[in-house]
Amino acid sequence: MNDNNIKIVSFLCNWCSYGAADLAGVSRMEYPADIRVIRIPCSGRMSPKFILSAFREGADAVWVSG
Amino acid sequence: MDTCIQKIREIAFQLLDKKEVERVIGFSNGTIPMATSPITIASKQDTEKLVFNSTCGLNLANYIRQQKGKIAVIAKGCDSRNIVTHIIENQVKRDQIYIIGVPCKGMINKSKIKALFEDDILKFDEDGDTLTVESSSKKETLSKKEYLRDNCRLCQHKNPVIYDILAGDPVKEQVLDVPYPDVEKIAALDADARWIHFQELTKNCIRCYACRNACPLCYCPTCFVDESGPQWVGKGQDKTDVNTFHFLRAFHCAGRCTDCGACVEACPMDINVRDFTRKLNKDAFDMFGWEAGLDQTKRPPLDAYSPDDPNDFIK
Amino acid sequence: MGNLLEHMGIERDRIHFSWISSAEATKFVDVVKEISNKVRALGPNKKLVKDYN
Repeated sequence: MNDNNIKIVSFLCNWCSYGAADLAGVSRMEYPADIRVIRIPCSGRMSPKFILSAFREGADAVWVSG
Repeated sequence: MDTCIQKIREIAFQLLDKKEVERVIGFSNGTIPMATSPITIASKQDTEKLVFNSTCGLNLANYIRQQKGKIAVIAKGCDSRNIVTHIIENQVKRDQIYIIGVPCKGMINKSKIKALFEDDILKFDEDGDTLTVESSSKKETLSKKEYLRDNCRLCQHKNPVIYDILAGDPVKEQVLDVPYPDVEKIAALDADARWIHFQELTKNCIRCYACRNACPLCYCPTCFVDESGPQWVGKGQDKTDVNTFHFLRAFHCAGRCTDCGACVEACPMDINVRDFTRKLNKDAFDMFGWEAGLDQTKRPPLDAYSPDDPNDFIK
Repeated sequence: MGNLLEHMGIERDRIHFSWISSAEATKFVDVVKEISNKVRALGPNKKLVKDYN
């Protein structure tokens, strides 16, 4: 993997950031393609296990957004 | 501490004699010197088996959950804070336990003493601040102060915070200007050096889970390491799995750990597991002014919301 | 969580938390750019990654 190919695992709340991501998409806004989105039903679903799991499987960074 | 055990036996005898409690949880001598083990006593004749000295480093608060009937438990300063935590977390009811508080002068670091001897220790005696340790080849007289466990050295709550009866006079509490020197020492390193420090720390871990079993906080019916669907952590000694285990276990104790040192005491590989938990204790103290188990009426910071909670980390 | 990871030697910029309303597409884009830049500056993560081989 080179430096230009990073993976940011993003846990996005269905109602907040996932909606924002959707809106950014339909508005045709441009943003870096480094994020891999995982939709969670609510930020309350988040667990430290998820963050560690993401790192274990090779994520370069983790982003949690509500 | 010899006077202390007489008092403990007396109290236990009275309690069992008057049938105020069904059982007393305390320490008894183990099969080898310096290895005291927890014991449950149900008859007054057995109270002679109870001992209490500087080798009783395990945390008896671990054994008070899911007991039937009223029980008495012997509690050092840190144990009593764990009992408070149990009461807050609804693991035990206050009126179900009778707490025999013991003002604690610190427990000894057994591995440090064992390291002085090449052969097995055959005899261990304690008189005030003097320890006499004997093996087949030599005899050492040690000052207890120099062989205290690291957590006891930094302990600021030696007296039980909650008790029904005290088995000794309260001891003087120490107040430290720098309560977390060990955490600051690690924090002063750069990221890679810290990573190496923790790699070195956990490299001997055999995943026996003694730290988890000795810990009074680790009472989940199914621990995350034992979950299999999904399996969050591998079972082997892979270094990532070992790190994940220690990291998550420490994180589950955030704002709850009383630094009783039972995890380190139980570790067969002498890993200082406290390096993980201490950082969280420091954070809880710095961010919320919180030390676990001091007040029955307060909710722990991680389970209550307050508009003043620090939130600088959120963009 | 971030603090303990940092204490263990994982760089602070590898873990991010944010709060974005579903109407804030511009903020979303800004945050993605910011995070992406920070992580690119750090390069790939080698710590805490499980080696399955």
